[in-house]
Amino acid sequence: MRAVLRAGVVMAAAVLAAAGCAGGGESGGAATEPLSVWQFYGDESMPTGKPFYDLVARYEQQSGTDVDIRFIPYDDFNRTLTQAAAAGDGPDIALISAFDTAAMADAGVIQDLSPQVEAWGQQGAYFPTGWESTQADGKTYGIPHLADAYAVYYNTAMLQEKGLAVPTTWAEMESTAAALSGAGRSGLAVSGIEGAEGATGLEIRMLAAGAQPTEIDSPGGHAALESFQRMVGSGALSEGFLTWNEEDAKNQFATGQAAMMINSATYVSILREENPDLQWSVAVLPSEATGQTVLSAENLTIGATSDDVDRAWDLITFMQRPDELQTYLPERNKLPARSDVPGTAEDPVRAVFAQQLQQAWAPDAALAPHNTEVLTALQAALQQVISGTPVPDAARSAQATIDEALGTS
Amino acid sequence: MTAVLERTRTPAPAHRRRRRAGARADQLFLVPAVLFVAVTVVYPLAYSVLQAFQDVGLKEVIRGGAEWVGFANFADQFGRPEFWQALWLSLVYAVGTVALTYAGGLALALLFLRRFAGRNVMRALLMLAWILPTVVGANVWRWLLDGSYGLLNAALRGLGLIEGDFFWLGRPGPALVSVIAATAWSFAPFAMILIVAGLQGVPAVLYEAARIDGASAWQQFRHVTLPALRPVSITVMLLIFIFAFKTFDTVYLMTRGGPGGATLTLPLYAFQEAFEFRRYDTAAVATTVMLMVPLVLSVFYFRSLRKEEAA
Repeated sequence: MRAVLRAGVVMAAAVLAAAGCAGGGESGGAATEPLSVWQFYGDESMPTGKPFYDLVARYEQQSGTDVDIRFIPYDDFNRTLTQAAAAGDGPDIALISAFDTAAMADAGVIQDLSPQVEAWGQQGAYFPTGWESTQADGKTYGIPHLADAYAVYYNTAMLQEKGLAVPTTWAEMESTAAALSGAGRSGLAVSGIEGAEGATGLEIRMLAAGAQPTEIDSPGGHAALESFQRMVGSGALSEGFLTWNEEDAKNQFATGQAAMMINSATYVSILREENPDLQWSVAVLPSEATGQTVLSAENLTIGATSDDVDRAWDLITFMQRPDELQTYLPERNKLPARSDVPGTAEDPVRAVFAQQLQQAWAPDAALAPHNTEVLTALQAALQQVISGTPVPDAARSAQATIDEALGTS
Repeated sequence: MTAVLERTRTPAPAHRRRRRAGARADQLFLVPAVLFVAVTVVYPLAYSVLQAFQDVGLKEVIRGGAEWVGFANFADQFGRPEFWQALWLSLVYAVGTVALTYAGGLALALLFLRRFAGRNVMRALLMLAWILPTVVGANVWRWLLDGSYGLLNAALRGLGLIEGDFFWLGRPGPALVSVIAATAWSFAPFAMILIVAGLQGVPAVLYEAARIDGASAWQQFRHVTLPALRPVSITVMLLIFIFAFKTFDTVYLMTRGGPGGATLTLPLYAFQEAFEFRRYDTAAVATTVMLMVPLVLSVFYFRSLRKEEAA
């Protein structure tokens, strides 16, 4: 009996100790708790993360509010956010991929900001394509944080050496890339890796051919696939692009193994810092029916479980001040989502990306929740074509997957 | 009857009461461990299996209220060639990894049983493959196998076996072989340790008897070493199969399941369904099947082990 009693006392002590710890953690009270912000850019030591920390630090200094930033890598971000929301423990502010906004709103992960936006009155300053990504069921669930576009990076020395001009059409892109290839070098580098990331190049090529990314089994879709097939066949594009993510494509370009690459503005500062001797510049994408880029963007949202909405909204509006964006965006290598940020055109490279952003395509609210699935199907078609599957067969198979995902089959 | 009742009510002797109280106290001390296992293993497993019988999208994960759909998710998945392809690839990947790991582990174990200069240093270096974080190991293999500047291609070009570039991870068959090789490379030192322990347990007298009977080295290996290693070999193979069958990181880091789904094993398929396409219900079907395959194998293994012990 004494043994049972002793065990009981030990258990009770453990429970009380645990309760004591929990109580101590909550004694601070909601009013003094720091605002929590979750983002996937990077931690303070990373070039992609530091500008965000600096921006928030300026807000902390100015407002006296403590902000706790948590970095979660992109691949884990949505999973962590949804798990936390399911447990009722989400952040005050979540920086999410723009095209996840509608799905997160529908699931109840983030909250409706329509009343705040109405009172704020700055929605007219935003580019329409980005602003549309914040809308779901006629309500506003986020504020566009920034935007990014894809463009053509080219090695000026290599083009000069061959006496070639920057391609302005896709026919020119194919011939220029072929002329630049050889001796262990490819003319063009672009990500073609398994999954959604590897479909961006094909998506851009389809848009140029006048096809929507949901229409791979169309004349434009076929033309886009054939274009990649020809480029791999001629050596203009290495077959290895199917194993490259965007970082790998950048490495090919940075090490001189590719004369051109299609990539986002993310790599501008990185190339300048890591490869100061590389001679390069940027041009808008080749054009046919259109010269559209795929829009890459993130939205600032407030978590559905936040109990500090006013302070969270205050931080979001601070981060969207044009004067703050003027400092922040060049450090972050990104472009403004609104038209009233001064200084964007001063840097010639950033000016090209800003120009490209004028022609941006983004999935609409109906497509956005299925975008990853559509892109995965597009990449699969690209892979099949490069492996020798006839274009009509690969396109038909991908179209069936896309139609099923969209519920249009 | 009264007498019987009275007999049953007779108080137990003091020492028996103390023993029973002691047993109850022991059981009480088990409670934290049982609770820990219940919370960290049983509950997530049961929750995952339950999701396979419900209609679960992102909204249901957050807000609850998932509808019960019975076996509809299983019917949906079992009717899809992609699912069977993923299961088949998982089996090929796991069996291939077991074969290569066992062969490598056995060869290394036989090598390190002999005494030679630098043996300990070499063994320690080999263990690096086992203790190296997967992200490092997988990226080392990615660079090694790169079509343009990879070490393997440089060696093959030097030997005149290939010309130009060959993208090992960009073609379906070679990509699958590559991920199997990379996984076996990291598991082989672990297999080696177990097999070395097994080899050290083989009585030397058996080899002496074989030699007296005129057995060659190969015959000794075939008829003495291999049969003596049987229990260890089965354990190694089963463990490696289970490790490989659930491996996600090495394959994801090397190929992301590509090219064209050629290495999209069941764990990657489940990941894609859940976290990329947000179909948590069909992902749960895949994880439930993932759970069943090693479970069934383990049951067979323990049964055969019991039979062997009884014999």
